[in-house]
Amino acid sequence: MRLAIMSFAHLHAEAYIHNLRAMPDVEMIGIADDDLERGRHFADQFDAHFFPSYEALLAEKPDGVLVCSENARHRPLVEMAADAGAHVLSEKPLATTLEDAQAMLDACDRAGVHLMTAFPMRFNVPALEIKRLVEAGTLGQIYGCNAANQGQMPSHHRAWFVDKALAGGGAVMDHTVHLADLLRWYLQCEATEVFAETNAILYGDSGVEVETGGLLMLTFENGTFATIDTSWNKPRYYSTWGGLKLDLVGEKGLATMDAFKQGMTVWRHATERPAWMFWGSDSNQAMIDEFAAAIRENRTPAVTGFDGYKALEIVLAAYRSAAAGQPVALPLE
Amino acid sequence: MLRVGLIGAGFMGTFHAAGWSRTPAGLAGINSFYPDRGEALARRYGARLYESLDALLDAVDVLDVCTPTYLHHEMVLKAAAAGKHVICEKPLARTISQAEEMILACREAGVKLLVGHVVRFFPQYAQAKAIVSGGEIGRVGVIRLTRASSHPERPYDNWFLDPARSGGMMLDLMLHDFDYARWIAGEVESVFAKKVSSHYPGVPGDYGLAILRHTDGALSHIEGGWVYPPPMFRTSLEIAGEHGLIELPAEGSQPLGLYLHRTEGDDPVIKGVPLSPLAEDPYTTELRHFYDVLVHDVTPRITAEDALAALRIAFAAIRSAETGRRVALEEVH
Repeated sequence: MRLAIMSFAHLHAEAYIHNLRAMPDVEMIGIADDDLERGRHFADQFDAHFFPSYEALLAEKPDGVLVCSENARHRPLVEMAADAGAHVLSEKPLATTLEDAQAMLDACDRAGVHLMTAFPMRFNVPALEIKRLVEAGTLGQIYGCNAANQGQMPSHHRAWFVDKALAGGGAVMDHTVHLADLLRWYLQCEATEVFAETNAILYGDSGVEVETGGLLMLTFENGTFATIDTSWNKPRYYSTWGGLKLDLVGEKGLATMDAFKQGMTVWRHATERPAWMFWGSDSNQAMIDEFAAAIRENRTPAVTGFDGYKALEIVLAAYRSAAAGQPVALPLE
Repeated sequence: MLRVGLIGAGFMGTFHAAGWSRTPAGLAGINSFYPDRGEALARRYGARLYESLDALLDAVDVLDVCTPTYLHHEMVLKAAAAGKHVICEKPLARTISQAEEMILACREAGVKLLVGHVVRFFPQYAQAKAIVSGGEIGRVGVIRLTRASSHPERPYDNWFLDPARSGGMMLDLMLHDFDYARWIAGEVESVFAKKVSSHYPGVPGDYGLAILRHTDGALSHIEGGWVYPPPMFRTSLEIAGEHGLIELPAEGSQPLGLYLHRTEGDDPVIKGVPLSPLAEDPYTTELRHFYDVLVHDVTPRITAEDALAALRIAFAAIRSAETGRRVALEEVH
């Protein structure tokens, strides 16, 4: 199977390229990037073939591509790939507008290719254990969920993460979708309402134009309510990028998950601060394995473009709620 | 010597009686609805048992009210009418109008009204407050506070579970963190909250989540519950500021562990072992402070107006959970 990466705008591409190369039946045929300098830089760094354009890459007829452009630039690359008959794994959030997300779903439908949204938490092993518990009814009815996907402001990785036009927003756009998707998956129903409050106090002196703090309250069809803390509340010198946690409160008890707790603290004279080194299982690898398996087995991937659409809808409802000061009903008009 | 009269010989009265014994004040008298409990406590601390509140008031300088919430109003008014200072357990009152009347009565009588928001006297909470007040983490952006336990159990008359008398979990328990959030980040502008209650059909516990917007823009996430399997109790604290972060996770500051082999007939759950012991329990710290306020005229760490403001936040949260709308504090009377 021949796979390729379109754009290194998102830092996850730097991890995905290792994942692709670790797969015995996959040939990573190369990368392309509309930012030629960035593309050449990473092609050199990872000793990968560099295509001078996306057209040149797609002319090689890859079976599938990983789209890692800026949030607002997923659509044109996904449409190009679909037209070329390549299956697509798109970085999250799927898009920054529902119009773009729908166009991506339509393009892949028309072309008969899979569109998978990069939600690695679906493949995180602790998160899978919670899925198993919920499905087995271990907690009984789930009343509420307290969830947090917090982190450092990611602008030190890529400046566009805090550029509203390219990222579509700040902390809420960046950190809502993983948990929104997990909750839809766990509860097997849709959110009916979203409330959100945002602010821009954290990293306030960095002059960013987007929100850096965000608290959401989701209500689902089955009555479960859930908060998601999306805040970029970890300082730049924090021991790790952030984390993802979730507590589920049900009629039979409490389940807690700290998805990246499997790590150790390492102190080095060179940096003079603690670093959290994760040793748990690699969810990105499992996610890309699933993308390849869906292509190989000619079946729908475990996570779809529609899942990406529904998670984005929750994000956009959160922004509307934050502006209106009251909850917003789903689905959005 | 400051003569203290204690009314209420339940859980909190017992803590307070022990606390007073470690202050320069004298526990002069006790009145209890349950004379046997009152007598046991009086005997233990060398106090006299009084058969009526009026008789107790005649014999003391300050009344310490440790009775169920709905009784605070009439007892505090009686103390004020008798010209006695008052220490009142939280919540200050069952309703806002009661609290306002109590504050006014104490002011007019020229007596002090000190409210037992003991969380302000827990060393970890007081330390975090000092760090924030010292400007060490800059302007506060996002606060997260959790406080949850199992369903309150009492051997007789479980008034906690009667909302008419206790006000329910949000007023009784989440109030602690509503007060603390306001102490850290200032006045609260609006609240959005969701809850389940053990008064709903088929629901065994009480659980709530609230999102607070503070007037100066900070956000607070408050989780509360009487919902865990006994004897579980968890609190956690996280304060993110523009220039720093304070984290105190629920799992993390127990210096002790005790794991015993189970022997025949033993309850496998070890009860009453403090795994995070302190040289001075926070109730004693609180009462020593109140002693200094009454005798040495030091500025109280919490005013009756603070306690009233915390009540307003709790009632805004309750109203939000009942109406599904964000509730502005100014709507709550």
